[in-house]
Amino acid sequence: MVSYIIRRLLYAIPTILGVLLITFILFNLIPGDPSYDIAGKSASAETIAEIRRELGFDKPRFLDTEALSQGRIAAAFDSQFFNHFRNTLTLNFPRSLTSHEPIWDEIKSRAPASLTLAAPMFIGLIATSIAIALVVAFARGSWVDTILVFICVVGMSIPMLSYILFGQHYLAYELGWFPILGYESGMQAFKYIALPCLLGIASGLGSYVRFYRTVMLDEMRSDYVRTAFAKGLSSPRVLFKHVLKNAMIPIITTLVLSIPFLFLGSLLLERFFSIPGMGSYFLDAFNSRDFPVINAMVFTTSLLYVLGQLVTDICYALVDPRISLR
Amino acid sequence: MSMKNPLILTPVFLLVVLFAGCGGDDQDQASGKMVRYLSLGAKVRGMDPMDIGDTTSSSVASQIFESLYQYHYLKRPYELIPCLAEDFPTVSEDQLTYTFKLRPGVVFADDPCFTATQGKGRQLVAADFIYAWKRIADVKNISKNWWIFEDHIVGLDEFRDYTGRLKAGENVDYMRPVEGLQAPDDFTLVVTLKRPWPQILYLLAHLPTAPVAREAVQYYGKSIHNHPVGTGPYMLKDWKRGNKIVMVRNPRFRQEFYPVEGSPGDREAGLLEDAGKVLPFVDEARWQVVEEDQPRWLIFMRGQLDASGIPKDFYNRAIDPSRQLRSEMKDKGIRLQIFRDPSTYWYGFNMEDPVVGTNKPLRQAMSMAINRPEYVEIFTNNRAEVAQGVIPPLFKEYDPEVINPNCQYNPERARELLKEAVEVHGGPLPTITISTPGTDTLSRQMGEYVTLAMDNIGLKVKIDYMDWPSFQDRIKTKSSQVFQMGWVADYPDPENFMQLFYSKNVSPGPNNFNYRNQAFDTLYEKAKAMPDSNERRRIYHQMENIIRDDCPAIFLVHGVAFVLHYNWLKNYKPHVFGYGLIKYQRIDVAARQKSVGR
Repeated sequence: MVSYIIRRLLYAIPTILGVLLITFILFNLIPGDPSYDIAGKSASAETIAEIRRELGFDKPRFLDTEALSQGRIAAAFDSQFFNHFRNTLTLNFPRSLTSHEPIWDEIKSRAPASLTLAAPMFIGLIATSIAIALVVAFARGSWVDTILVFICVVGMSIPMLSYILFGQHYLAYELGWFPILGYESGMQAFKYIALPCLLGIASGLGSYVRFYRTVMLDEMRSDYVRTAFAKGLSSPRVLFKHVLKNAMIPIITTLVLSIPFLFLGSLLLERFFSIPGMGSYFLDAFNSRDFPVINAMVFTTSLLYVLGQLVTDICYALVDPRISLR
Repeated sequence: MSMKNPLILTPVFLLVVLFAGCGGDDQDQASGKMVRYLSLGAKVRGMDPMDIGDTTSSSVASQIFESLYQYHYLKRPYELIPCLAEDFPTVSEDQLTYTFKLRPGVVFADDPCFTATQGKGRQLVAADFIYAWKRIADVKNISKNWWIFEDHIVGLDEFRDYTGRLKAGENVDYMRPVEGLQAPDDFTLVVTLKRPWPQILYLLAHLPTAPVAREAVQYYGKSIHNHPVGTGPYMLKDWKRGNKIVMVRNPRFRQEFYPVEGSPGDREAGLLEDAGKVLPFVDEARWQVVEEDQPRWLIFMRGQLDASGIPKDFYNRAIDPSRQLRSEMKDKGIRLQIFRDPSTYWYGFNMEDPVVGTNKPLRQAMSMAINRPEYVEIFTNNRAEVAQGVIPPLFKEYDPEVINPNCQYNPERARELLKEAVEVHGGPLPTITISTPGTDTLSRQMGEYVTLAMDNIGLKVKIDYMDWPSFQDRIKTKSSQVFQMGWVADYPDPENFMQLFYSKNVSPGPNNFNYRNQAFDTLYEKAKAMPDSNERRRIYHQMENIIRDDCPAIFLVHGVAFVLHYNWLKNYKPHVFGYGLIKYQRIDVAARQKSVGR
């Protein structure tokens, strides 16, 4: 197992380097220069040029060929790409171009808010959808199955924004069951994330229940289930002890691979409920072409994703004795 | 791992979440404390005056920092009054030397950065202004506000060049003298200009020119934008980035009084009830970041905000067809204030574009193709005025008698002009591309409207929707053909609009039209150096007529703002140039408690 983990970690290096390269290329392809915004609306051409120089945007993109031809190796690699590469790999992220805050400080202060919302929402969504999927699978072909599948399809067809607008207006404003918006850290947070969390669960249930229903039905048709029923085991025992355990592989896959994205937060929920999380941070960074922030976020997410994949593989081996990691 | 765990957790989790949410809104019980509740439509980027260039950050930081001058809270037209200056400056005969006397007894708010006095804020001195302005000039600081001082003060541009020459890691010597910035004593600031600059006082009422304590910059270093230390009526108590900001009274704020005179109607509106009383009234100001319209509207209707604009989708719920506040809103104790914005919106032409830049009949035809009153009704809920030029009606230089033929909806004449345009072009006109800075529904609706209007006169246009940075890139690299844009004035002088057409300011400078006209330039240079007078007013009219005739833009509308506020918010008068206004406002705590229970 240890050699497998080391091998997988080594495979991750080119993946991460590829991500860095693609991020840089994409960012240079997208039009937009943060210097214009930084310089202010009445700035002269000279001021904009000075700011570009200060931020290093006037340096060669990949390689200073002139310096290279003159044999000045260090100067040749003083380019936007190599500086980006060096800073990222040494985790020396510069400050945000817009807020001037150290990026790690911003991530550390915002990630808890995103996770406070996303983690219970995710756990609630998975648990509720598995529970409903089991019921639906058990009652397959019956009117309960038909109605629940119909509700799932309807639920999937309604955009997330509609859930938010409805929930915020009726549940928070009209009925006063929840705060309309806001966020506090600590235990107070639960009061504020309650509504967005429920709305997140409600909007995701349709697709998740349908997916898990399919997984459960596949298992229900297996020989071992028929054998279990033939042996006289009760339906709940078959479902909870045997079917659920065997359905864990696809469940784990969705679960673990989704975890890195919890860190990125939920953009719409965070914006509408004024939760200072990562979603709006990422969007603001993109809208202002704050490359250091985008780079740090993409790098961190890709790192978490690679690690998430590794953890998924390890979990497979733990839940399924037929799988061994070599 | 127990397989039943997730199923057991589900109801438990839901119960926890529901019970946690049962408390409803949790606005603090103010219990007699006078708290002003405000919202922010965007995040505050920082509170270092040197680096503030957006209205959101300005509206917050202006409660902490003060400048030499400020706008009179009540008087209209807008006029300046001294703030940190004791009086208006003494100006030399050649209009080049300004001597400012500072108001005595002004101190910085207490802060740990004042280590020599164990955290007690020290006296404000003239050197604090010089230091703050040198920080703006310092290239290494990448200030958004160098445009304020660029090419105005003797020696300051040279100071900037010096900072630009320094290598990375080398420290800027802020003791290096600048000839045009002198402090002969602690309370005298002498500014020497390269050439007359009549707008200087407006700029010295601008937040970025506020004095900054060197101790604060040295103490907080690169985090100075999180630690504002000013001389104003409030101090920062709490700031959760992207979430909320809380400010409390500065106990060491100098003595300032509520104005004793205002504009006609102010007394009747109750705006002079607190005349002569000591400022500020409010104990605490709390801002909540709310970036979406619906939640902002809902918390306002719940009474959790004292004032709010009216989002487009909620306009009809608040205002009736006769532009009056609906009775159900009045019953809630809500009042409506309507006021003019110092703004103008347009479709600009890139005058360097080979198709539109050289074809005046084409530009005129496109301008006449748009039915502005209809545009105002459809897209602004009638919250705008049709533009006849670039200067908005708020300015005293605006001439209401002028009717610009290019701004009148005249499709027949537009079709005739289009025929001329084809001749000028030397053949059929290609499809014209209009760059639009927005991909949202409203931008697309506007795009559809303009496409139809142009189609009506026989011109094909293509709307290119994009985000703001892409749009800016297109404008600044002169690669747009026609672009949708606008300008909100920084100060009440038409020069702020006229600079947008000055040939030395072409892109990437603020002249995004890349408009060049020798006659206009000559008049601009002349008017820019003139103090306010009838002669200067006449020159501005001449300049605007040149622009109207050349038609480098399809002038659309000037903004009109509708603001709602509860009747417990006293002394509330919208101001389009001033920001540090909370000090004038008062909350009738009893009325608020009676109305919304807090």
